[in-house]
Amino acid sequence: MGNDADNLAAELARERSELELAQRRLQLTLDAAGAACGWEWDIARKRLVADARFAAITNQDAVALADGVSTDHFFISIHPDDLKRVKVAVAGILAGSEVFSKEYRLMRNDGGYRWVHASGRAVLDEDDEPVKFVGMLVDITEQKRANEQLRIAQFAGGIGTFEHIVGYGTISVSEQFCRLFGLHPTRILPVRTLNDLIHPDDERIIDLSDPDRIQNERSIEFRVRRPNDGQERWLARRGEYVDDTESSGRRYMGVIFDITDAKQTQESLRQANQALSEIARESMRERNRVWTNSRDLLVVIGIDGVFRDVSPAWMEILGHPPDEVVGRRVTDFVLAEDLDQVVLDLKRAVENTHTDLEIRMARKDGTPRIVSWMTSREEDRIYAYGRDVTIERQQQAVLEDTEAQLRQAQKMEAVGQLTGGIAHDFNNMLTGVIGALSVIKRRIAAKRLDDLDKFIDAASSSAARAAALTHRLLAFSRRQSLDRQAIDVNQLIVSMEDLFRRTLGEQVELLINPMSQAWKAYTDPNQLESAILNLVINARDAMPDGGKLTIETANVAFAEADLARGETLQPGSYVVLAVSDTGIGMSQAILEKAFDPFFTTKPIGQGTGLGLSMIYGFAQQSGGHVRIYSQVGRGTTIKLYLPGSLDEIAQQKPAVDLDVTPPRGEGETVLIVEDDTSVRMLVVDVLKELGYRVIEAIDGAEALPVIEGKSRIDLLISDVGLPGLNGRQLAEIAITARPTLKVLFITGYAATAAARADFLAPGMEMMTKPFAIDDLAQKVREILTAPQSAVVTE
Amino acid sequence: MTDSTIALDELERDALTELVNIGVSRAAASLRKMVNKQVILSVPSVEIVTRKSAASLIGQRESENLIAVQQQFEGPFSGRALLIFPESNGLSLVRAIVGDEMGEADVVDMEEEALAETGNVILNGCLGSMANMLQQTLKMSLPNLRRGDSNFLFEAIGGPNEESFVLFLYINFSVRERNIRGYIAMIMDLPSLEKLKQLIADFIDRVMAEAD
Repeated sequence: MGNDADNLAAELARERSELELAQRRLQLTLDAAGAACGWEWDIARKRLVADARFAAITNQDAVALADGVSTDHFFISIHPDDLKRVKVAVAGILAGSEVFSKEYRLMRNDGGYRWVHASGRAVLDEDDEPVKFVGMLVDITEQKRANEQLRIAQFAGGIGTFEHIVGYGTISVSEQFCRLFGLHPTRILPVRTLNDLIHPDDERIIDLSDPDRIQNERSIEFRVRRPNDGQERWLARRGEYVDDTESSGRRYMGVIFDITDAKQTQESLRQANQALSEIARESMRERNRVWTNSRDLLVVIGIDGVFRDVSPAWMEILGHPPDEVVGRRVTDFVLAEDLDQVVLDLKRAVENTHTDLEIRMARKDGTPRIVSWMTSREEDRIYAYGRDVTIERQQQAVLEDTEAQLRQAQKMEAVGQLTGGIAHDFNNMLTGVIGALSVIKRRIAAKRLDDLDKFIDAASSSAARAAALTHRLLAFSRRQSLDRQAIDVNQLIVSMEDLFRRTLGEQVELLINPMSQAWKAYTDPNQLESAILNLVINARDAMPDGGKLTIETANVAFAEADLARGETLQPGSYVVLAVSDTGIGMSQAILEKAFDPFFTTKPIGQGTGLGLSMIYGFAQQSGGHVRIYSQVGRGTTIKLYLPGSLDEIAQQKPAVDLDVTPPRGEGETVLIVEDDTSVRMLVVDVLKELGYRVIEAIDGAEALPVIEGKSRIDLLISDVGLPGLNGRQLAEIAITARPTLKVLFITGYAATAAARADFLAPGMEMMTKPFAIDDLAQKVREILTAPQSAVVTE
Repeated sequence: MTDSTIALDELERDALTELVNIGVSRAAASLRKMVNKQVILSVPSVEIVTRKSAASLIGQRESENLIAVQQQFEGPFSGRALLIFPESNGLSLVRAIVGDEMGEADVVDMEEEALAETGNVILNGCLGSMANMLQQTLKMSLPNLRRGDSNFLFEAIGGPNEESFVLFLYINFSVRERNIRGYIAMIMDLPSLEKLKQLIADFIDRVMAEAD
């Protein structure tokens, strides 16, 4: 038992000891939790003391290390491949090296290893001899891995890293950094070395002009001339400042990478761009040349009417420099009186893609220039091209003026011809009348009355021809009073056939093709006769070498649809009388003027130029029309359209027989008002001879007392054109006073009486001077014997 | 370097870096005593390159003229050691060492002398420590100063036909909050370099033996 007790005691003691040991270990472990992996190597005593974490990381007994072990324990667990390096470094420290800084691997229990960084230093005595070697281990496995990743990343990405502590002249660099700079790989480089490789015009990687200054943190780019191959490369720097934990200063951590390719791409893009710009500029220059050199106006206008741009020609043409025009309104540059029109023109230019305008622009000095504009609108811009046509227009006006003067001169010449011709004809006729009258006078004086008729007839004939001439002149002036009635045109033509043949002569063959069922024409037979004769004479003159002349009649009815726009004919029925020749024809230019008064193709003295114009006037006045169809060298057809009358053809009145005894009056009283003494005397004489009682008055003033008096008046014969009251006014007063009074107007010229129906009230009649005395007798008798209430018409 | 016929393996390069660090640590300690200020020197990396490569390496990095403190060394491996600064940094280094109390004119006057002395401290410390670690002895000449571009510094030293290599060290100085960069170049012929490589191998072997 004693042994047992001893054994038990020993066991207890042993267990206690182990417990103590375990407690101490626990304590050390707990201590280690907050401690570094520190060691202290006593060089003189050759003993190593280390803490629990050092023991743990090197797989050693913490208690033993805490108590002190031989120095070879420092090397326990170091990877065999690293062992020699570490030993060499330790040897250096023991021999006097001051700094110990090594990275190496430590084996782990599981067969793996960890990287540690051992940093230590020698503790020197007064003689600078090392007495202790102290330091600690840091597990840098993770850091190492990260560094390795970083190295690979740098290599793969071509990114070099660097760190610069503010105030230092050197920077820490990575291998890749050196490669990018074309330098031998190293870890520390002078900043100046790097800066000197950078192109003088570019920013420095670290600006040392003020060493303590914080670097600009923005990204920069610079060119370096690589020392190893002489190449120039573009590098970019990026980076930022971090607090430097070691120096408590600021540390710039940055990267660099090669951007040469990107720069080259950028450069070639820039060059391509530049080439393109050059092309664009060239075409701009060309466009500018057009713009600048154009002698006409080129302008750009907004649809708001404001000039956006104008070409330099503006200065030349309108006197304003372009910059005075741009920004101002179009309406600022036109004449005030044209403003409304220009606003309309502008509106047209805005609303239409293309317009042609002529606008008077105001020059800077206020004078107008006529500019012909062609505009083209695109989107909200109007591009306009303007040509100064002022001189053209002035020349045109001068030309027109000259032409008008020429026409006037020609007209005057024609009037001269006409009056000359008329005077000549009239003189002939007057000679006939005067001559006959003097013969008659001498014969009466000599009492030789046997052969007077011959001379009286000659005088009457000459006077009748003079009357016809004045008729023609009146017809020309279109103030002739038409005596319209329904006429059988066919019969008229046939009755004139003899005349035609005599006029035409032997060289011209005459064909007359009357349409058998032709309607009557409602017109003035005398005028029509004259017109036909005129046409026939024209046709003859167009065939100086002979030919064929055809006169035809036809019926035609126009519906509204048959008539072209601008046609003067009204829808209705017409009798067409066509006169055709096979003569020289008319050119288009002549056709256009054929109806112009005094226009003639005949030699001076042979024609008055009044023929066709008179026919035209006559046709128009009849409510008809004339058309010319002509071809040069082939002939001409002139068609006269006369309003058709479907009435029965009136009984043609027999031609007035000069031998018929004029009807006599039965003592009726006639008041005659005429300012022309010889006419008045003649009329008074005739009427008295015929058995009428006659009261005469010179004008309305003298006639009025008679009308208002009590004496009997059966008929008022009055001139239309009277001094003071005219004939029409006098007649109205007379009819008011004596409602049953009959009125006969005699007129040579009745401007207001072109158409009788419009002028004459019921109970009124009209005769045109000159008239045959017998006709007057006939008319007076007709009026006085007509039923009282009948409306007298033609 | 690819153009190097003498290739150090990774461990040899580590070992060489350690040797140099021991050397510059010694030099820094000496400088600290001189200027009574914290001086830190560190050598991040070591390379063996041809002279031509060395010239272009510095030429790439430095555009301005260089100033170099040069010392001959003789022993199992022989050659010329150069401490090289950009000219402007040289003046900064002098200013850092002599302090701000001295006038500008005086600094300029004593620049060469101060640089020569500083270079001597650094190069001596560096080479001396290395030799010591390699259990060898080197005899150093007096320092002299050269100015010129990198080609001049490297090609003017020794004939153009001399088969020589450069043990090239990049050094960061940190003195009185001034950052001064510089280079240490050791120009050796091929036999000397091979001897150095051998000595490094021996050093590694010793280190391994000691630690075991």
